[in-house]
Amino acid sequence: MRPDRRLGDSRRRGAIAIAALAATVTLLVLVPHPLWGLQGDPQMAVDEVRTFFGISPRLVIWAVAQMHLLFAAFVLGVPVFTVIVEFIGWRTGDIRYDRLAREFTRLFAAAFATTAALGGLLAFTLFGLYPSFATYFVRIFAPSMYVYAAFFFVETALLYLYYNSWRALQHRKGLHITIGVLLNLAGSSLMLIGTAWTAYMMSPVGVDSAGAFVGTTLQAIANPLWIPLTIHRTFGNVAFGGFVVGAYAAVRFLSSTTDEAKAHYDWMGYVGNFIGVSALIPLPFAGYYLGREIYSASPVMGNNMMGGAFSWAFIIHAILVGMLFITSNFYLWAGMGRIPGAERYTRFIKYFNVIIIGCVAVWITPRNIPLSAGEQLSLGTQVHPILGYFGLMSAKNAVINFVILATFASFLLYRRGNKTDLQPVSQQSRRAKTALLGAGALCLALLGWYTRALLTLSPASLNLAPEKASYFVLPILLLVTTMAAVVVCVSLTLRDRGHLAQQIYVGLVAVESVLVIGVYGFFVMRGANPFLRQLAAAQWILLMSALLLVTAIDLLLFRGARRVGPIRWGTVNPISQYALIALAVTNVMTMGLMAFVRSGLRENWHIYGVMKDTSQWAFTPSFAVMARMVGGITVVFLSAVTFLFWLAHLGARGDGLSDGETAPRPLTET
Amino acid sequence: MSSWIKLPAFVLVLIGLFVWAGDVVSRAAGFGGPVGLGSGVGVERGREVFWGAGKCYTCHRVGPRGSAVRGPALGRDGGVAFETRAAERSRALSTAMSATDYIVESLAQPSAYLAPGFKNEMPRVYEPPISLDAEQIASVVLYLQSIDGAPDPAAIHLPAELRSARSGVTASRSWQPYMEGDAARGRRLFFDPRGPAPCARCHIVDSAGGRVGPDLTAIAGTRGPEYILESILRPSATIAGGYETVLIETTRGRILDGIIRDQTADSVFLVTAEGDSIALATGAIARQRIQETSLMPGDLAEVLTVADLHDLLAYLLTLR
Repeated sequence: MRPDRRLGDSRRRGAIAIAALAATVTLLVLVPHPLWGLQGDPQMAVDEVRTFFGISPRLVIWAVAQMHLLFAAFVLGVPVFTVIVEFIGWRTGDIRYDRLAREFTRLFAAAFATTAALGGLLAFTLFGLYPSFATYFVRIFAPSMYVYAAFFFVETALLYLYYNSWRALQHRKGLHITIGVLLNLAGSSLMLIGTAWTAYMMSPVGVDSAGAFVGTTLQAIANPLWIPLTIHRTFGNVAFGGFVVGAYAAVRFLSSTTDEAKAHYDWMGYVGNFIGVSALIPLPFAGYYLGREIYSASPVMGNNMMGGAFSWAFIIHAILVGMLFITSNFYLWAGMGRIPGAERYTRFIKYFNVIIIGCVAVWITPRNIPLSAGEQLSLGTQVHPILGYFGLMSAKNAVINFVILATFASFLLYRRGNKTDLQPVSQQSRRAKTALLGAGALCLALLGWYTRALLTLSPASLNLAPEKASYFVLPILLLVTTMAAVVVCVSLTLRDRGHLAQQIYVGLVAVESVLVIGVYGFFVMRGANPFLRQLAAAQWILLMSALLLVTAIDLLLFRGARRVGPIRWGTVNPISQYALIALAVTNVMTMGLMAFVRSGLRENWHIYGVMKDTSQWAFTPSFAVMARMVGGITVVFLSAVTFLFWLAHLGARGDGLSDGETAPRPLTET
Repeated sequence: MSSWIKLPAFVLVLIGLFVWAGDVVSRAAGFGGPVGLGSGVGVERGREVFWGAGKCYTCHRVGPRGSAVRGPALGRDGGVAFETRAAERSRALSTAMSATDYIVESLAQPSAYLAPGFKNEMPRVYEPPISLDAEQIASVVLYLQSIDGAPDPAAIHLPAELRSARSGVTASRSWQPYMEGDAARGRRLFFDPRGPAPCARCHIVDSAGGRVGPDLTAIAGTRGPEYILESILRPSATIAGGYETVLIETTRGRILDGIIRDQTADSVFLVTAEGDSIALATGAIARQRIQETSLMPGDLAEVLTVADLHDLLAYLLTLR
């Protein structure tokens, strides 16, 4: 067959495949209107629960659901950045990115079938062990289950197409990347549907006072926690995918025998960590939004989460997330060893880590420190007079902001490790300067939007007396000041004072977001507690503006800078690879913990406030039980992933791909 | 050491640390496992409900106990006394409201009045997901009364929605009497010392009657008909808090049973089924144990006719 003929066939096949996909999606979305509008009338039934050969059904569902969630997070998260990495390779012409994207694809393709099998097992165990609940659920969600199955077929087809057409479409990257984007859309659609089911169990809608469902499937899907949970999951999946890929690279690095392979996996680990941390940074905000919506959907559930028994889970959560940030910083610090010129900045990283450790210490301090009766008597209260303040939301919000700022600063230093002799911004292209102005305008829009929201906020909407509007003044002033700072900093950058602009903006936001709002929050909690949510949002917007503007300035500042020397990939201290593995393990445990919290918040309800779990297993397990369970699941998950990756590696060899081919030459640049 | 040994060992150490942290936090948090639901109405049960199933503690603190700030601190120690809130409420409504009425209103209609500075987000505790029943709610009211003073069951008048509250079951399913009773005849039965059910020998209504059992002056204000019926026919099924029968063996071998009316560091005051009060020195008590059976006669189902029973019930349901 002649090459041009093959190309033509491949183009035709691709067009047919895409047309078929488009038709399927259109059919699914538009046609089954009566199905979506179906009125359900499930009535409360006797709560039938069975054991799994004598084992608690709750433990079985827990283990299966968690395994499915972990695999699903991986196969949904990795394709997101795989397509981005492939796109970077295409646009920059750097073949390494293309090969890295293909290697990522090999990994999630290996995990795909297991994810599907676990999903099936979860459905079977639910039907087998909790038939009453499953029946009730099917009556409400049956139409969406058919759509779910259809999207699953679409995703499977797209995955095979994406993976197998890599070489065939090597010269038609646009089409291949489009298939990757469609793969992500199909995966996201699956996640949206699955998340709607989970969220419905927490915040059911369309239910009458007797517990009967009187709404429609669409109403049930569009329950209050659907979108907040989806956003949180999306960031979580990407972070998880990045860290797992990083751990894979670390294992391969440690077992590699050639410089080429070491260089490749060192670089891959760095990319994995970069992706993980990038998605980790917005996660606390997505989590805060989710928590806020949980409060709005059910104050009882919200209070149980942050003020009740589950508040202790957030101590463990803070330890784990703190470990993620500290370990990431350690990894960056260790990575500076392979960057000539980075010794100029290495010493600063330890100060950032000290800040992060201090912040994590505040973060993990509970409001009620366990005290003996004698200690309580001498204090006269259950709450420590100083440490008690650290247990309040205002302190937690402040330190989370500080942790993110410190990690961000640490990454900026890493980035500029081997760069020197900067090209003045005033001499940069008009396009580059316009990009900076665009970033500044975006910051102004973000800050201005929330300033307006606070200016028009009615105290009555928060059940506050009119005079409490005085509490809104300070955050408004801070936002306006920051808007002025945006203008000043952009101007300074354009006048070749970019470093000063960065210092001013980061310093200002740190003072505003951490010190001023951090302390002011305590006054708000005392005098206008309902306003604390808006204050936290203002804090988040200030921080986001800093991340956005300072990154834009940094990109412009170091554009075209001379390099002191090439990055010596593969020469990193092997201990840093343990940091990558620790990141992945910690992330798996964090996901296990938070899944326990999300599910446990329903307490003894299958569907919160609607369908009660009346079985003997309806109680909430202790944290000790949770930790053993999550620990066990982590071991099983990591073992399964290791096995699957090993299989994928064997497959790659069979395909003629090897370390030598994935890393054809020592990598010397980012 | 090979990385194939070091790596799994490293991972297991991390997981081990996580399990250890779970153990530590579990001990500090002290929750998990099935929770006893308890029964009856009493201050102690109210305390359990407040700090447990009722989840009141997730928003409110009481004096130095607890740390929640989402809702107002309760009681005059560190918060605002219920009397003060009731006075604010009375001024707003232009009608007198007692501290207990204020507590009851706050539970029945949480949004009726908001303490200044707090959001309208308190749930109705008698509806899902909390779903407290009437006894639990009455117990919480008693506990809240006890914060700033003595508990006063007679002052509690639960509105219909609270009286009919049942854990996890909607109000429409609450039990109703089989036939309409004659309340006037029921009153005569109650106070007849020679009748089949001489209730007034042990129970007081509007300052008339004995003081062995609980004061029934406002019994219908805190209990539903199903509970009252059960108390008549199966008095040991649920014994009101503070009215448990106590068996005492003195150091001289004397056996006494009754209800402990009062207790100090030195003495125990016991009331027997006959209404006799006995004071015992603490040092004279060799053993003491709470019994599972009530002092109240358990044979009323045999001595009362169906009509008697419904008349008596009709009378008791008028006591609010």
